[in-house]
Amino acid sequence: MDYLVAVLLPQLLHGLVFGAALGLLALGLTVIFGLLGVMNFAHGELYMLGAYAGIAVVGVTHSFWTALIVAPLAVGAIGAVTEVTTLRPLYRREPLYGLILTFGLALVFREAVRQIWGGDMRRILPPVTGSTPLLGMVYPNYRLFLLAASSILLLAIWLFFTKTRAGILVRAAVQDAEMLDGLGVNVPRVFTLTFAGSAALAALAGLLLAPIFTVYPQMGVEMILLAFIVVILGGMGSMGGSVVAALVIGLAQSLLTLWMNPQRVAIAIFALMIVVLIVRPRGFFGREGVLE
Amino acid sequence: MKRLTWGFTVLVALAALVWAGAPAVSQPKVVKIGDLGSKVGVFEGYGKYQTWGVQMAVEELNAKGGVLGHKIEVVSEDDETKPAPAVRKAEKLILQDDVKLLVGAVSSGATLAVMDVTKKHKTIHWNSVSCAEFMRTTKFHKYYFSNQPDSRMQANGLAKYIVDKMGKKVYIFYTDYAMGQSDGRQFKTALEKLGGEVVGVAGAPLDTKDFSPWFGAINQSNPDVLFVAFAGTDSLRLMTQLHSFGMTKKYKMAGIDCFLLQQDLASIAEPMEGFVQLNHFSPYNPDANMQAYNARFKKKFGTDANIAAGSYDAVLFWAAAVEKAKSFDPDKVAEAHEGMCVDNTHIGRQCIRKEDHQVVMDMHLYQVKGGKNLPIARIAGSDSIGEAMVGKDPVEGFTWEIKKK
Repeated sequence: MDYLVAVLLPQLLHGLVFGAALGLLALGLTVIFGLLGVMNFAHGELYMLGAYAGIAVVGVTHSFWTALIVAPLAVGAIGAVTEVTTLRPLYRREPLYGLILTFGLALVFREAVRQIWGGDMRRILPPVTGSTPLLGMVYPNYRLFLLAASSILLLAIWLFFTKTRAGILVRAAVQDAEMLDGLGVNVPRVFTLTFAGSAALAALAGLLLAPIFTVYPQMGVEMILLAFIVVILGGMGSMGGSVVAALVIGLAQSLLTLWMNPQRVAIAIFALMIVVLIVRPRGFFGREGVLE
Repeated sequence: MKRLTWGFTVLVALAALVWAGAPAVSQPKVVKIGDLGSKVGVFEGYGKYQTWGVQMAVEELNAKGGVLGHKIEVVSEDDETKPAPAVRKAEKLILQDDVKLLVGAVSSGATLAVMDVTKKHKTIHWNSVSCAEFMRTTKFHKYYFSNQPDSRMQANGLAKYIVDKMGKKVYIFYTDYAMGQSDGRQFKTALEKLGGEVVGVAGAPLDTKDFSPWFGAINQSNPDVLFVAFAGTDSLRLMTQLHSFGMTKKYKMAGIDCFLLQQDLASIAEPMEGFVQLNHFSPYNPDANMQAYNARFKKKFGTDANIAAGSYDAVLFWAAAVEKAKSFDPDKVAEAHEGMCVDNTHIGRQCIRKEDHQVVMDMHLYQVKGGKNLPIARIAGSDSIGEAMVGKDPVEGFTWEIKKK
């Protein structure tokens, strides 16, 4: 019982916090894939841009909360411009073009940040300080806030896609963009706004995680690998699948560390991805035919 | 027409003569040196300062006429903080750029890999940042030199202070690759030898994002001191997260050399308050030589010096050895290095031990107060360097097993 309360439950909480935040990042990635058929290699850099935009806004306004609104909007705008000017001309070409383009964009964003802010690591102070006695330990309030914020955001996104006209339009575009176009909907605008929304979501995740993970130009590269695993496990293009897979990975990382060398945990997660790709290429909840 | 052709021929011949003669008159001879380090990744900051240290030494040497009448040029390469690219870039620096000295790498894993390359190509190799223990023992070769205190020197210098002044029950938390494993081995051995009790050990992979899964085990062990062997962005993240869990106040904290750069301390002053570490440079050390070096560094780069002092000294040592050998021949230069002393390093006179090519460097223990590394003790290099153990494992028979008291 002591082991359960003192060791297992705190690990479970750590895993939930990380998994929920990872879910936010992976959700944008899976929406872009589902809608545009593009594996966005620059998604990690949009996550990184969110953190740096946050640093810039906090520097001017001294308010994390203002940054939490302004930074995703700014990165969303960058996303919109990027989609219109670079991705749109490639939609009718093979997916490889989009893949190479976003890989190039990732390099451009990363080096631009390095030129502007330099390569040194930076820190954003958490807006919620202090800690709460929980499960026999003191748990940082910011992590509890992160868990709550991520959960609310994930719920809001689910409601957006299922209950609002805009969300239904996006889902319709994922299903059959040509039919939607025939019904008089401005499909290119749906694409642009969806890409911008995904960029803003990545930026939000970047800024929310910045007080815990710190900020540096490579931060996106390191997270995007996990996000890709989440998208593959959950099912390419499946939003619900991404959230479930993110939580599975968060919990697995946290719990397995108790019994395994952490290097082996990373190998185990990759092995799980390989098994899923072989046995069920569409992932946990992916559409039939995707990667099959 | 014939006169015109002759005139043209003479003109071309004159131009050819001028062109052929010009380099000999206007361009000095050049010798290249290689700077190999992390330009991206977890040790990006360290790589930048290593480069600055090399650049500063080269600028000062060139102002005095270079080395053996040659102007020194620096070729910098990024090893991506990984062994494989480090080997590739080291090969490129040696075979393509023909560097006579290679300074680097930053990550211990990369440096250990590069040692095979410098041994194969007989290239003088200076390490001024990496601190894994194997470089001057089992991996040692005659072209390799170091002025970075390795894990054994650090353990010899810091473990006694921890046991005497901070507490006997120590938890060792290390980054799980060459450097951290080496630090863990050496500190565990040294602490136990001095009567300390290692109550737990754990390794987290390089570049871990979330350290909180390890905190439960640390808390369960209830140590007096939490000893952390991390560097770069890992250190910053770890301290931020430990602080948010209230653990920086709960335990006394100590760590390795290079745990964090002075430049990073300002942004993490509160979590780092009271942190004890061994280091070979601090801008807040009143040592006159350090202050003079720091003033020059600050004038050039607009910021305080740090680990840059190591690569700066490395280039000075190499230049002095080349002048002594009167040749760039690696065998002669390597021999000239052995036992050599240089007076104008960042901390004054320093000498290289002949047996294992380690600089016998005085180090300082520092404690962080208000975001500044303030010196609390000086440890003579002769007390920390330990005996030369080329080809041997200094902690043979080591085990990670926790001895229960």
